[in-house]
Amino acid sequence: MSVRLKVTEAIKQIAKEQHVTLPELTDGLSLHETGFDSLAFAILVARLEDELGVDPFTISEDAAFPATVGDFVRAYENVPA
Amino acid sequence: MHNVLVTGGSRGIGLAIATRLAGAGYNVIAVARRETEELAAAVRASEKRLHFRACDLAVIDAIPAFAKLVRDEFGAIYGLVNNAGLGTEGLLATMHNSEIEALVQLNVLSPIILTKYIARHMMADGAGRIINISSIIASTGYNGLSVYGATKAAATGFTRSLAREVGKLGITVNAIAPGFIDTELTHNLSDEGRKRIAGRSALRRLPDTEDVARMVEYLLGEGGRNVTGTVFTIDAGNTA
Repeated sequence: MSVRLKVTEAIKQIAKEQHVTLPELTDGLSLHETGFDSLAFAILVARLEDELGVDPFTISEDAAFPATVGDFVRAYENVPA
Repeated sequence: MHNVLVTGGSRGIGLAIATRLAGAGYNVIAVARRETEELAAAVRASEKRLHFRACDLAVIDAIPAFAKLVRDEFGAIYGLVNNAGLGTEGLLATMHNSEIEALVQLNVLSPIILTKYIARHMMADGAGRIINISSIIASTGYNGLSVYGATKAAATGFTRSLAREVGKLGITVNAIAPGFIDTELTHNLSDEGRKRIAGRSALRRLPDTEDVARMVEYLLGEGGRNVTGTVFTIDAGNTA
């Protein structure tokens, strides 16, 4: 499974658990519009760390969280090996 | 069996907590810079329920990797006891800035960052207990402990707001505020000072490390199920 697929699957799984109705996940969708609150994002980052073995936001020196779904996925795709 | 991480687990209150929890059936990971003789003996006596893992929590950048290492080795962490801390005394006017910085770093920044990396997995797991060791000095005053007092007040403030943040995910966050307890941290206190504090306490004695360990056990167990965002004073009535 590609990183992109794993990330989107995790988003959908958490949406189900947190009873969030997701809009269609396109790259341009703002993370605010996903309906996720900060707790849901914390869970997402923790789950992905378990699954992919990385937390790109700890490695990154940039303190800003991504703005869109596309940026979020790319953060995981572009982790240096 | 539930995993519990106890920082500063090699001596004093932390060692008492780690030993007691291992005896109560938890799988305990005691964290410290170095393993002491006492901890090594407790590990040997624990029938593999107590483990030592080295980490210098003052090195903030090493904390995320350490949290991951522990989780990879032991699995989900159910309990976190933030006990590690310095007890540096000094008059503010003459304390070296590096001492002030080290005290704030280890007593405030390190537990907050460690909690961040442990708590978010608790969030993903939907369960967890976090216990921060504060001090009665957080809410009362003592000459020469202004910086220490500030760091311990930080622990109770952190406790209350974090409890609000993670409560809906089934995680509890509480603080314990011990009074003066005989450990290496309080070795500077003279016998006379010790007697004076005991004499001013309702029960005319000092609490010991085991009292704190029992409270931690309670908060981790069924009894602590509906207890969150609060501070438990264990001081034999010193501040009563």
